[in-house]
Amino acid sequence: MSASAIPAGPVQIGVEIEEQFHTEKQQRHAAKLGMWIWLATELLLFAGLFLVALIIRVQHPDAVTPAARHLKFAIGATNTAVLILSSLSMSGAIEMSRMGWQRGTVRCMQVTAALGTIFLLLKGFEYYKDFDEHMMPFLAWRPYELAHLPASALFVDDYYVATGLHGLHLTTGVAIVLVMAWQVGRPGYLARHQNRIEVLGLYWHFIDLIWMIVFPVLYLLNR
Amino acid sequence: MSPDGTATPPRQNLPATLRDPRPGRTTLGRPDDYLHAEHTLRSWLWTIDHKRIGILYLLSITFFFVFGAIAAGLIRLSLVVPDGQIFTNDTYNKLFTLHGVIMVWFFLIPSIPTTFGNFLLPIMIGAKEVAFPRLNRTSWYIFMAGALFTMADLVIGGVDTGWTFYAPFSTTFSNTYVLPALAGVIVVGFSSILTGLNFVVTVHTMRAPGMTWFRMPIFVWTMYAVSLIFLLATPVLTITLMLLVMERAFHIGVFDPALGGDPVLFEHMFWFYSHPAVYIMVLPGMGVISEIVPAFAQKKLFGYRFVAYASLGLASVTFLVWGHHMFVNGESETAAVAFSVLSFAVAVPSAVKVYNWTATIYKGSIKLDTPMLYAMAYIGLFVIGGLTGLFLATLSIDEHVHDTYFVVAHFHYIMVGGTALAFLGGLHYWWPKFTGRMYPEAWGRVSAFLGFIGFNATFFPQFLLGYMGMPRRYHNYPPEFQLLNVASSMGSLLLALGYLFPMIYLVWSLRYGKRASANPWLAKGLEWTTSSPPPAHNFDEQPVVDFEPYDYRDREARV
Ligand code: HEM
Ligand SMILES: [Cu+2]
Repeated sequence: MSASAIPAGPVQIGVEIEEQFHTEKQQRHAAKLGMWIWLATELLLFAGLFLVALIIRVQHPDAVTPAARHLKFAIGATNTAVLILSSLSMSGAIEMSRMGWQRGTVRCMQVTAALGTIFLLLKGFEYYKDFDEHMMPFLAWRPYELAHLPASALFVDDYYVATGLHGLHLTTGVAIVLVMAWQVGRPGYLARHQNRIEVLGLYWHFIDLIWMIVFPVLYLLNR
Repeated sequence: MSPDGTATPPRQNLPATLRDPRPGRTTLGRPDDYLHAEHTLRSWLWTIDHKRIGILYLLSITFFFVFGAIAAGLIRLSLVVPDGQIFTNDTYNKLFTLHGVIMVWFFLIPSIPTTFGNFLLPIMIGAKEVAFPRLNRTSWYIFMAGALFTMADLVIGGVDTGWTFYAPFSTTFSNTYVLPALAGVIVVGFSSILTGLNFVVTVHTMRAPGMTWFRMPIFVWTMYAVSLIFLLATPVLTITLMLLVMERAFHIGVFDPALGGDPVLFEHMFWFYSHPAVYIMVLPGMGVISEIVPAFAQKKLFGYRFVAYASLGLASVTFLVWGHHMFVNGESETAAVAFSVLSFAVAVPSAVKVYNWTATIYKGSIKLDTPMLYAMAYIGLFVIGGLTGLFLATLSIDEHVHDTYFVVAHFHYIMVGGTALAFLGGLHYWWPKFTGRMYPEAWGRVSAFLGFIGFNATFFPQFLLGYMGMPRRYHNYPPEFQLLNVASSMGSLLLALGYLFPMIYLVWSLRYGKRASANPWLAKGLEWTTSSPPPAHNFDEQPVVDFEPYDYRDREARV
């Protein structure tokens, strides 16, 4: 559907009540609470990786510091900014959907997805640089730059697991945002499922939040 | 206030006859009961009805239980002779792993929450459904996918690490199919998380008007507490096992000392989940017993609020004691003492519950029907299991009995003697509600006795063996241990009958059992106010709750 066909709005917004609920308020409450709880479990999932990073740092400070210096601080910082902007546009999408501004909502979501993609591209470039600098200790066939500091490999591997898992979440997020942006563009969606945008917004902010922890724990703390 | 913020309407729309402890009408075969609403296979496999999903889980975990039990039988068979001639060492290792993995991950952890929890939790709080019915169905599929995959791997390929997957054996030294087993367990973890999520949201948002927190039955409280553990502990297990997978596949080294990693870190992370997991296994059993005991003593549950708080108390303190599994693994003395003291603290809420059940029974009008027999057996065995837990939490004693059959006996007393018996007790108690049929009472009692006697015969000798020094997970042992081992193996035959009988007569009762009334036990609680089996949406009209939980009439008032 071409973008100009999407009405600017305001269109009617609302929530179609599912069978198991009695009121719209109850359904909205349940959906939000469910997402919050899911996010809490996600945070705990990542917490294990942060814990590992901190323990490795305490146990092998001499090996971790040189490894951390290899991380691309500039890319990491740029990516932090990119994600903050994407959260801003996601909030924009939520606000506009509340007012029923259909086209604005779609646009904001598209911007969000674009920013997410930029993050992923930058991250991919960073991985490429890591590869180039021989910083991939798990590749048995490729020499490892810090081989004289065996424990540094622990930190570097934890970095890949943490950022990889985060990247996976972000990729999922981008996919969902795109699909939902397309849905929002269709007539009647906001009238039936406005709250889904709010729930998606929670998820998106959360992925950003995880990065806000990854960045200091891996990039900053060990420099 | 009801969850959606409206004030409780003053009307009382539950007919007095239903609230009165008198058997109600039967609706079996009525077109709208959930069993008969639709008949196709698709209507079962694609259902979003929490009751049908509960039944699906019931069938699935029974299936896994049977496999786990067969493995257990083979283990006991092997231990009849001291020189381990019946199976090769390799086969024996694979057998106890098969047994442990299936029983812990695919039977005990999901057992009561996914079956009784799914079926009863919404009914007990007066809701039509769980908050996310489709998610509920998804979590069954996730469970089946993960569990069947792992089981196929365990049966066809075999894994020899034990259910605990300790590194570095599991990552570096074992030559068996560890990766697929781990993958399946990780997947099943997601199903636990989704179930927990569903329950927490359901309890928060779906309660009927008038159903305040302190009007919820204890079973609902324990489901809530268990869900919190699912949510807070399972993700840590997931990431730990993922690290294990990476370690085995790519040698990332987090747990490998040769690469600067730390195998004890694995134990910390594993037990940070798995000690709470033992409460995942035991709390639901406590919930079931807290329903059965008042019903068969016809008396209010003693100290309702204490039992409710004790459930939450257990769910929180349980996160602080994981170190008691590592007393002899080079834990610092300070840490060991701290974990020992905290483990003693866990015993307090557990004991609170035992005292409450006993006080409920005291001066009640006790009916010793099958569910009550199971409940009594549960209480006795749980006390033994819990007290031996205190032995183990005592540093000097653990030094002696760690990794012996004493530990094996301890946790079997709690997990089999406790949870599995509570499961059977609950199954009998709610069977009329699930199926609309009564089981044959005499057979029920015989099985309960068989289970109790067989259980003790199987596991009590193991305390002695462990105390004498027989290590767990070996099948060669000095000949002087043979007598006790044979006793244990004989006991397991009785125990097996105790499980086999219910499987047979419960299935028999589906066709030939007497039709059940809405409330055959004259019990209290919303699930007994609706017909047996309940209609597709649980209640004909939304119930309004204006009564306290377990409002059995006083003895004085009854006479
Ligand atoms: C209430 C439910 C309980 C369950 C289901 C349970 C289950 C278990 C299991 C499965 C193990 C063995 C794990 C393994 O090594 O494979 C274990 C060990 C242990 N349990 Fe429990 N337990 C419970 C209660 C308690 C309590 C109340 C205490 C202490 C007050 C306790 C103290 C211990 C200790 C110290 C060990 C480690 C023994 C060792 O390995 O040397 N347990 N328990
Ligand atoms: Cu423990």
